[in-house]
Amino acid sequence: MNILKIRGMPAALTAFAGLIIIFIVFGMIDPVVFRTANIQNLLRGMAIYLLIGIGQSFVLITGNIDLSIGSVVGMSAMVSATLMSRGVPVIPAMLITLACCLLVGVLNGLLVGRAKLPPFIATLGTMFMARGVAIMVNGNRNTGLISGETGISSESATTFRNFFYFGSTFGLFNTFWIAMVIFAVFFFILSKTRSGRHIYAIGSNVDAAKLSGVNVGATITKAYMVSAFCAFVVGLVRVAMTGMGFMEAGNMYEMFAVAAAVIGGISPMGGTGILLGTLAGASVWQTLENGLNMIGAQVGIQRLLIGAIVPLAVLIGVTFRRDSSIKLISKWFVPSNKN
Amino acid sequence: MGDYIVSMENIYKSFPGVKALDGVDFNLRAGEVLALLGENGAGKSTLMKILSGVYTRDAGEMSINGKPCGDISPKQAQELGVAIIHQELNMCRHLTVAENIFLGREKTRGDILLNSQMEAEAKRLLDNLKIDISPRQVVGDLPISKQQMVEIAKALSVNARVLIMDEPTSSLTAKEIDDLFRIIRELKQSGCGIVYISHRLEELQHITDRVTILRDGKYITSMNFNDTTIDEIITHMVGREITEKFPRLSCKKGKEIFSVSNLNAGRLVRDINFTLYEGEVVGFAGLIGAGRTELTRAIFGIDPKTGGEFMLDGKPIYINKPKDAIKAGVVLAPEDRKKDGLCTKLSIRQNLALPNLDILSSRFFGVVSKKKENELCKKAVESLKVKAHDINVDAANLSGGNQQKVVVGKWLARTSRVVMFDEPTRGIDVAAKVEIYNIINELKAQGVAVMIVSSEMPEILGISDRIIVMCDGRITGELIAENTTQNEVMTYATRFESKKSQLEETK
Repeated sequence: MNILKIRGMPAALTAFAGLIIIFIVFGMIDPVVFRTANIQNLLRGMAIYLLIGIGQSFVLITGNIDLSIGSVVGMSAMVSATLMSRGVPVIPAMLITLACCLLVGVLNGLLVGRAKLPPFIATLGTMFMARGVAIMVNGNRNTGLISGETGISSESATTFRNFFYFGSTFGLFNTFWIAMVIFAVFFFILSKTRSGRHIYAIGSNVDAAKLSGVNVGATITKAYMVSAFCAFVVGLVRVAMTGMGFMEAGNMYEMFAVAAAVIGGISPMGGTGILLGTLAGASVWQTLENGLNMIGAQVGIQRLLIGAIVPLAVLIGVTFRRDSSIKLISKWFVPSNKN
Repeated sequence: MGDYIVSMENIYKSFPGVKALDGVDFNLRAGEVLALLGENGAGKSTLMKILSGVYTRDAGEMSINGKPCGDISPKQAQELGVAIIHQELNMCRHLTVAENIFLGREKTRGDILLNSQMEAEAKRLLDNLKIDISPRQVVGDLPISKQQMVEIAKALSVNARVLIMDEPTSSLTAKEIDDLFRIIRELKQSGCGIVYISHRLEELQHITDRVTILRDGKYITSMNFNDTTIDEIITHMVGREITEKFPRLSCKKGKEIFSVSNLNAGRLVRDINFTLYEGEVVGFAGLIGAGRTELTRAIFGIDPKTGGEFMLDGKPIYINKPKDAIKAGVVLAPEDRKKDGLCTKLSIRQNLALPNLDILSSRFFGVVSKKKENELCKKAVESLKVKAHDINVDAANLSGGNQQKVVVGKWLARTSRVVMFDEPTRGIDVAAKVEIYNIINELKAQGVAVMIVSSEMPEILGISDRIIVMCDGRITGELIAENTTQNEVMTYATRFESKKSQLEETK
């Protein structure tokens, strides 16, 4: 089967092509970019954008949006770090945190899928609520070190931090591998399972899906739960990185997630895009950030250039699509009197 | 008779402000093709949506396969063997043919999709129907007619005992219609009951056994097709008494004002030629989807044109966007007041001023003159008798009739030459209708060319001097209102390019 015929593949490949060009250009400016250590760092950074991007992609494909991702990352970091810094062992702390995060996902799903609120409004609300919890949970302060006086033992803290951030396997950081495993699982779910199919169907034509017997509310809730789960993992990564919980962790991540998804060809209108695109989009985003850092660009110019990529990528995508839609429309409307 | 596969008795259904079904009876036998007929808004689609579980009825009995059923969901209807092909396509355009056919009842092992199995089955289904489409094609890439065939295949894939087709042929080619009719005959042989809704009366002879006619949400009659004639059917469809009053103002037909020649814009506006004269109202009649709204939109410069010329007062004019039309004096009061005609969250004053801001504001800084604005609004409100205690209230708070007056009022401040009304009295009460007719007559008396699109036959006959009938994007007839009848208009309105006979000629 022709690989280009796979839906969403052309957009994903375009983003990968862009990624390679960007990578090579930066490497030519400063060869340090090509060094193994940098590539290792780059992949670890990319993993974070990929994770939040996967979550946002699930929601975007249903034709909705999740603005609460960044706050759920913050909540995950603060809840888990608070628990661990008070001596709750790693595994129970993680499970409690997971439950809290999934609760936000379920709430989003109920508000958008059942109560039919506009997703922008519903998740704006949960965005503030989750951030509020993140700030409240340790009494309006960042946590101390998770291996502090009252915290977990320094051995288990080290294990936790190595598992999520500092350790590496086969020469690459664990964070990258965790993201890859999660990517593989959700890639499979989205492309090969009934739930995945329903996610596309709802984003494509919610009425048709409903009339075909698809449970729209439940499917949308599933998508928001995937998003919350991914944010949960990123929150843990943040705690592993710093060894403590910051109240502002994950700030703006929901927007980075939209950017990664959209660069990779996931349409915010729903119904199209594949996770491979999100992988490409997250890589483009991180490579730009990394490359600009390496050549010593200031934060302001970094944001400006990276920001320009988002509309540019979509413009390229729209131009591709426009051609085919013009063909399609002319097929519909031009009477075929040729014979 | 006991062999009814579907029977519905005394069905009532209301939507806010509309009584869609008013005690309708409906019966369908196994192995017959029943044509369900009626004008736009007669309640055909609503009745079928109740049968297929999309809507729930307010009152009445319904039984399928002899078993009474309460309120059902679309899924339950499917399980009872009722399949429907909706008038508006209901496909996920980003998914493939096979994915659409099996949507909602995918074949899976565990939760994992068995794609190749579904594709193979879809292929078998399509082959069976002699539809040449690959199950792997993305539906959005298919032409509309093929999408329609996929929808039919989808409906058949559930082993339907009752198949409802709502205007299935509207976008099919002659060959595809032929295939469809072959499929319908086969299904009939196998004992399926088929409900066929169509405005194309000339098609009925090829497949229909029986007809049931609705009008204004009421059951009118059922007949064997062979015992009746198309003329009789049309009479039953439109045969209502005209109770509304239409104030008619006779004016002398004056000089030519506006002419349209060879206008083309998409499939629903094809080779349109007509001329409007001073002192006459021209009504555009036709069925929904005949292209009348599209025509007004093309003239007003909303939708792109592929060709055509306009002459206004003897001079050619060029309209590429609504602004050009407004400048030239050609204006439109659109069909959907709330969507296209008004900014409902703005006040009456702001709405009236909106298209006239060029007149109302100073030349250099664009400051809107409050004084001029007040004058304009006062004049419009008084001359149109808009009932509002304050011109600063939101347009949303007005009744339908008064909203329509504001829509018209927007244009009266300018010296317009041509005013197009698209469904000017839809959803407004009788008294307000008469006031709108009076405004139309006033414009006519002032020498403005008036063009009205309306789906209400009595209105078209009552208010216009000349009637142009459209069908499927073309003008199929031109009649003098005083010398014509509803039946004659209906005959022209259903004069489709006969796809069936074309096919037979080529054979």
